[in-house]
Amino acid sequence: MTTPATTAASRNLAACHLCCKLAPPELHHCPRCGAALHLRKSDSIQRTLALLITACLLYIPANLYPIMITDQLGTSEGSTILGGVIILLHHGAIPVAAVIFVFSVMVPIGKLMAMFYLVWTVKRHTPVSARQRTTMYQITEFVGKWSMVDVFVVAILVALVHLGGLLAIRPGIAALCFAGVVIVTMIAAESFDPRLIWDEMEERNRDN
Amino acid sequence: MNEETACLHCDMLANVAGLKEGESAFCPRCGHFLTRKLRDPYGRVLSFTIAGIILLIMANSYSFLSFSSTGLESVITLRQTPGAVWDYGMPEVAIMVAAFIIIIPAFILVLLLLLCIPLHAGHYHPWLIPVAKGIFLTQNWSMVEVFIIGVIVSLVKIAAMATVELGISFWAYAGFSICFTLAVSNLDRYQCWERIEALQRA
Repeated sequence: MTTPATTAASRNLAACHLCCKLAPPELHHCPRCGAALHLRKSDSIQRTLALLITACLLYIPANLYPIMITDQLGTSEGSTILGGVIILLHHGAIPVAAVIFVFSVMVPIGKLMAMFYLVWTVKRHTPVSARQRTTMYQITEFVGKWSMVDVFVVAILVALVHLGGLLAIRPGIAALCFAGVVIVTMIAAESFDPRLIWDEMEERNRDN
Repeated sequence: MNEETACLHCDMLANVAGLKEGESAFCPRCGHFLTRKLRDPYGRVLSFTIAGIILLIMANSYSFLSFSSTGLESVITLRQTPGAVWDYGMPEVAIMVAAFIIIIPAFILVLLLLLCIPLHAGHYHPWLIPVAKGIFLTQNWSMVEVFIIGVIVSLVKIAAMATVELGISFWAYAGFSICFTLAVSNLDRYQCWERIEALQRA
C-alpha cells in the first residue's frame, strides 16, 4: 500500500479554517485570528445531513407554487419554475430556457444528490476515489450560489414590469422557498468537511 | 515565519517556502489551490477596490433599466430591485437580494480598503485581524456576478413584451462586478495572514 501521507492531524496540528494557521487543537482558539479551532469541523455529518433534509423539504413548495404571478388586464396567471422554462421554450428562447433549467433545476438537484452521496460514502469504501469525491465537493461548493439567478430574475421583473393597471408582475411564495433552498444548501456545503473522506482512506490503508 | 500549510480540503501538509513571485501552489494529494505569490498584491487589490467603490456609487446614482410599452414607461434604479419585492410583502427575499448584490459587496470593499492600505504601506494596526476575518467570512456570500446573469436573463425574458433600455447604472454595475471579482481574487488568504503576522511581530 502507499505510505501514509503526512497530514496536519497526524502531527496533532489543526488548520484554522479562516487564516490557515497551523496550531495544536488543544488551544481551542486560533492563536493568530482567534477563530474557533478544530481538528475537523464539529458534527460535520449531522449538520450537513440536517441541512440537506431541510433543503429537500423546501424544494417541494419551491416547485409546486408559482415563483411569479403576472397580472395582465385583470387576469392573473402564476408560473412555476418548470412552467417558466416551458413558456420560454414555446417562445423559442432556447438559450435562456437552458440557463434557467441548468441553474434552477439541474444545479439544485445535482447538488443535493452529490452532497447526499458524499455524506453517505464518507465512512464507506467506494469505487470512486477520494480525490474524485473531493473534486465533486469542490464543484458543489463552486456552483452553489449560481442557483440564485432565478430569484434575482424575479426581483428584477417585479421591479421593472409595472405599467399602471395594465401589466404587473408579483413575486410568488416559491421565490422565498427557492431562495431558502439555495442558502440552506450553501450552508450545508460549508458545514461538510471533505477531510473526513481522506481520514477514512488513511484508516483503511493502515489496516491493510 | 512558518512556511508550512495544510490543505483545507484533505489536511495534507505542504511546504510553500520555495514559492516565487507569480507562482501558485496546489495540494500534491487532492489538487486543491493552496496559495499564490503575486508582485505587489496589495497595490493590485487596492486599485480594483477603489475602482469598484466608485463604480458602485455610480451604479446607485443613475437609472438601472427602463421598460416601455404602448406609450407607458417604467424606470427603475438598482435599489428598487429589492425595494419592489419588499413592497409586495416579501421582506425576507428583499433583504437577501439587497444583501447579496449591494450590502455584502460594499461591506467587503470597505474592509478591503481598511486592510490593504496598511498592508501596502507596511504598518501594523490592531484592526487588521478583525477586518481580515470579516472579509474571509463573508466573501462566499457576495453574488454580484450571479446578479449580472440574472439581469441578462430578465432582459431576454421580457424583450418580446416591450422595449427595454439599459441605463448608465447597469454599465456601472457590470464594471463594478468585474472590479469586485478581481479585487477579491487577487487577495490570497495564506499570504495575507502571513503578512499580518509578520507586521504584528515587527
